[in-house]
Amino acid sequence: MGSLVYAAAMSHVLYPDYYGKNVGPHGRKMVEELIAVVQDMGRDLRAARPDALVVIADDHLNVFSFDAVPAMCVRIGQTVARMVQDEAIEFDQALDGLPERYPLHEDLANRILEDGIEAGFDFAASWSAPLDHAFLSPVSTLCGAAPAPPLVPFWVNCFVAPQPTARRCYAAGRHIARVVEAGPWRVAAIATGGLSHFPELSLARVGTSDPAFDRRLIGLMERGDHEALRALTAKELDQTGSHEFLNWMVLLGVVGPARATVRFFGEMGRVDLAAVEWEVA
Amino acid sequence: MSRYEVNVLLYRLKKDPAYRRRFRDDARAALAGAELTDEEREAFVSWDARRLNELGGSLHLLISIPGLGGH
Repeated sequence: MGSLVYAAAMSHVLYPDYYGKNVGPHGRKMVEELIAVVQDMGRDLRAARPDALVVIADDHLNVFSFDAVPAMCVRIGQTVARMVQDEAIEFDQALDGLPERYPLHEDLANRILEDGIEAGFDFAASWSAPLDHAFLSPVSTLCGAAPAPPLVPFWVNCFVAPQPTARRCYAAGRHIARVVEAGPWRVAAIATGGLSHFPELSLARVGTSDPAFDRRLIGLMERGDHEALRALTAKELDQTGSHEFLNWMVLLGVVGPARATVRFFGEMGRVDLAAVEWEVA
Repeated sequence: MSRYEVNVLLYRLKKDPAYRRRFRDDARAALAGAELTDEEREAFVSWDARRLNELGGSLHLLISIPGLGGH
């Protein structure tokens, strides 16, 4: 029988130059502290010897065009490419120099997709979507010089309204947990992004966050109060700039009722940075 | 809901370097076939990112179009 051997969630712009430029020395120092914590979490991840690493993250309108925006999408196939963009935004410049391709865990991805359809989750599937910083910045920081475990990238539409609900994201996570339990693999899972930034996706509000809301989310995760988290509305997530918390909602479903241990929480002003682990073994 | 046509154009500006060059050279000509309101068209031509955002243009596109992005 399979098991979930590691679970964590973390902010995904792990790039000191970006915060140095846009926030200043205080921002650079804070993200450097977060990076050190995520590197330390990577030691726990590797010690758990996962056969596969599920990565739950969002598309920054890099991958899926407006021809179709999947609510949730499973990346299938044997390998996945690192996204290459000409004149990439600073977030994605952080990927320069990383490996160009990563192995996928095809069997686990197929089970999540096919058993999901059977169970009523109309997941999209992609054979070709590449990975941007939302996936590779945390994966490369966690893994360091070690090769990444075979990945199962899972996209959540966090930014193009109407997004899936927090409740539906949690239910998708419960489905992934059932697939893991039924399968033969040791599985690690992470969610990335957040915490609050870019409230209401408004250019005028870039540079602000909602620390009170983020402290509330952290408290609910520490107490394991998942019902309160499932009840979060699209309006709350939009107004506070917590769109990417939908990724975390999927992971909360994967870990079930477990309580979170906060490894890092920092209020930067532009964004609140966090890294959280769950006791799953 | 975001405005479809505005975002389709922003996405094309981000992903299609040849179209981006045409837009930089002559924005009005590059937008000739697009189904935009006058207000949307003027926001593109004057590259008023704030206004495009208010009109439904995605923040993540507006901050990441090479040579036009930035925030």
